[in-house]
Amino acid sequence: MSSSHPPIDPAQATDPIRATDNCRYCLMCRHVCPVGEVTKLESLSPHGWALTIASQRRGLIEWNTDSVGALYHCADCGLCRANCVTDQPLPNAIVAARNQVVESGLAPRPLYTLADALAHWGNPYAEQMPVQPTGAGEVALFVGDEAMYRWPAALEAATRLLEIIGIKPVLVGRGRNNGYLASSLGFAAVAHDLIAATIAEVAAVGARRLLVLAPADLYAFGDLAGERLQLKLPEGVVLEAVTDVLDNALQAGQLALRHAEQLAAWAYVDPTHSARIGRSGDAPRRLGAALGGEPLELFWRRERAHPSGATALRFSLPHMAYLLAQARLQDAQRQGAQIVVTEAPGDLAILSEVAPRLGMRVQGLYELLASQLV
Amino acid sequence: MYGSTFGHQMVQSELEEIVGANYVRADEVSRLVYSTDWSWMPQMWLDRGQPTPQPDFIVHPGSAEEIAEILRIANKYHIPVVPWGGGSGTQGGAAPVYGGIIVDTKRLNRILNIDEKSLTVTAQAGVIGTQLEWALNERGLTLPHYPASANCATVGGYLAPRGTGTISTKYGKAEDMVLSMQVVLPNGEIVRTPVVPQHAAGPDWFRLFLGAEGTFGIITEATLQVDYMPESRLLRAVLFSSLTDALEAGRLMMTRRLQPFVIRLYDPASTASVVHEILGYDFEGAYMVIGFDGDPDIAALQEQKAMEICVGLGARDLGRERGEKWWAHRYDFYYPPQTLKLPWMYGTTETVTTYDKIEALYWAQKRAIEETYRAQKIRYIGHFSHWFHWGAMLYSRFIIEQPPADAQEALALHNRVWNTAMTAVIDNGGMINEHHGIGLKLARFMRRQYGESWPFLLRIKETLDPNGIMNPGKTGF
Repeated sequence: MSSSHPPIDPAQATDPIRATDNCRYCLMCRHVCPVGEVTKLESLSPHGWALTIASQRRGLIEWNTDSVGALYHCADCGLCRANCVTDQPLPNAIVAARNQVVESGLAPRPLYTLADALAHWGNPYAEQMPVQPTGAGEVALFVGDEAMYRWPAALEAATRLLEIIGIKPVLVGRGRNNGYLASSLGFAAVAHDLIAATIAEVAAVGARRLLVLAPADLYAFGDLAGERLQLKLPEGVVLEAVTDVLDNALQAGQLALRHAEQLAAWAYVDPTHSARIGRSGDAPRRLGAALGGEPLELFWRRERAHPSGATALRFSLPHMAYLLAQARLQDAQRQGAQIVVTEAPGDLAILSEVAPRLGMRVQGLYELLASQLV
Repeated sequence: MYGSTFGHQMVQSELEEIVGANYVRADEVSRLVYSTDWSWMPQMWLDRGQPTPQPDFIVHPGSAEEIAEILRIANKYHIPVVPWGGGSGTQGGAAPVYGGIIVDTKRLNRILNIDEKSLTVTAQAGVIGTQLEWALNERGLTLPHYPASANCATVGGYLAPRGTGTISTKYGKAEDMVLSMQVVLPNGEIVRTPVVPQHAAGPDWFRLFLGAEGTFGIITEATLQVDYMPESRLLRAVLFSSLTDALEAGRLMMTRRLQPFVIRLYDPASTASVVHEILGYDFEGAYMVIGFDGDPDIAALQEQKAMEICVGLGARDLGRERGEKWWAHRYDFYYPPQTLKLPWMYGTTETVTTYDKIEALYWAQKRAIEETYRAQKIRYIGHFSHWFHWGAMLYSRFIIEQPPADAQEALALHNRVWNTAMTAVIDNGGMINEHHGIGLKLARFMRRQYGESWPFLLRIKETLDPNGIMNPGKTGF
């Protein structure tokens, strides 16, 4: 029986960059790429990056300021792969190309400084070492750097909510990046060390459940760790989103909430990386709805949820990150929302930087829930 | 002047004055990426490490007025202009073979109006198909143009090459859905076609721009007819041992006006390869999927009548699930690695003709290709997927798994196979294309296709675009 397509290149299994040979001429995820949506440029869209990398391999272009600049425009949000019928790992291929660029010393200079900070301090925000966990317990909660330095209210509220339903987690990764940032920018070794350090803490405290505040952490300790760095959580440890835990408690009647009167015309923003982990987004919506009224829905939501800019772009191309944040807020505005709600500390931080320019407000979901506890 | 570094910079400055510096690109990566659309020729060329002809500038206008200004500059300096929507064309229609300015329309991305009473949508030309569809779906509406390229193709790209989608058999081609358009002519004039196409106020000139692939101007806006999302969709698969009987079944469904939204008939070679690979079915014969939609009672009755025709012609009923599975996975065929891809050589030599000729054309094309390129172990597969009251479209493809490694030899062989395929089409009363368009690939066959009428078409082109700036080398111009 004859085949309808060429055999898959076996080298693709070991060399992630070869995925670009599949993606370079495929346009099937063009419509979901947030960077392509903002820039409208083919060269800054999934097939554009794939063709650029594939062409560099073929000697048609070299890595230089222009081509490296294009390569670093990818948000590494995973929308392309999440919407690919054949699950082409293009984001990993782009990151693998960035790894090569970094090793060749051709990445933008500020990124090396950033990587040094991540390697030394574990975060890009403060010259402070991560706080070591104290005590031991079945349940750990990963704090990270964004909840520590950028949006601490989320951590405070989330721990309060968890306590109400009888969960008192051991805090791990306090002040340490989840590894995504370094990985995304092409610093694989730094990413490896950051994730390995958190995994070691989880093992040391004896946790069987690792709770996280944001989809970004689910991605970092799940697919990213496994696919890009060959790391995995200690045997038997279950990774869970705090929103899922709270939603289960709400459904079970363990969490009682008052209606929030000030919440007229609000929209829920699926946090960055929601789509790539296949999250339905039902749990945070149900939690939000328990405060009174269904949230308004963005056009770019759920399986097509665009990132809000809380990606490595914040450091490599800040203007692009802000454009993405602005696009989320404008999307919400078009649906009639004045307030956007989300739970991820990184998303909250960047959205709140842009929102005042548009006359909008940003509310943390955990804080909102905690403020309405009965 | 334009060819010199000095001239190049002057032109870039003028373009930047129109659209802003952020919207004019001349960097190495952009020029590389915009040097190829979805056609095999430039893709193969790049795959072999060969540089393709590149545009000098990629410009992103934000309005029809800006496009008009760009075209005035292009005329002044005699610079080629290539309109670009999603770059999903398979015929090289957006390949900038003479360099020049690519006008990427994707900043024209606003949905201007959805009229829920008249059931129309007015959108700018750069709106991506799937995004438009999502917006309509939120109102319970659909644009019943479902091409495999919807995720990347734009509204302008739907219309310019006269595209066809999966459910065209009931709802028509993209061109059948358009009520009116705004077009920027090559000289920079902005024109609007009449508000509705069915009238008697003079000739149907708006159709000049459908199928012109940007050689007569750039479509910047269109009002399209939409439909309510169907209440039901009934899919069913049948298997014929004879392609002749299967074609007759399709003809009867159409001529008796049963209104199937899809009739997808795979020839035995496709049934054994594509259907097997993607759907996992091992059938010998001609696999056919039929579908009816809308009011569930009417759809069920239509399906019942269609099944009587199929069974009466010897078809085996494969049931609903095998039809639904095809519908659910109908676009999987287009994702790598499941799609045809390099390093193979391939081409879609699709055609359309009337029922009295369609089967003979199929066999003639198949025989010509298989016999002429036996040494290259060519394969020929096909399906019939767009059906009309008077005939059907044959979506034929050739595949050579081990083409020459040398890019020039490979391109020459590709062209020879196309010559063979198109000669069979023209000699057997077919049209050289039904929905992918002419582009670069088929340009050389236009004169043969139109014969004595070709000079008339040329005069239209010369009148509209006396400097020949618009998409040169395409559609035979």
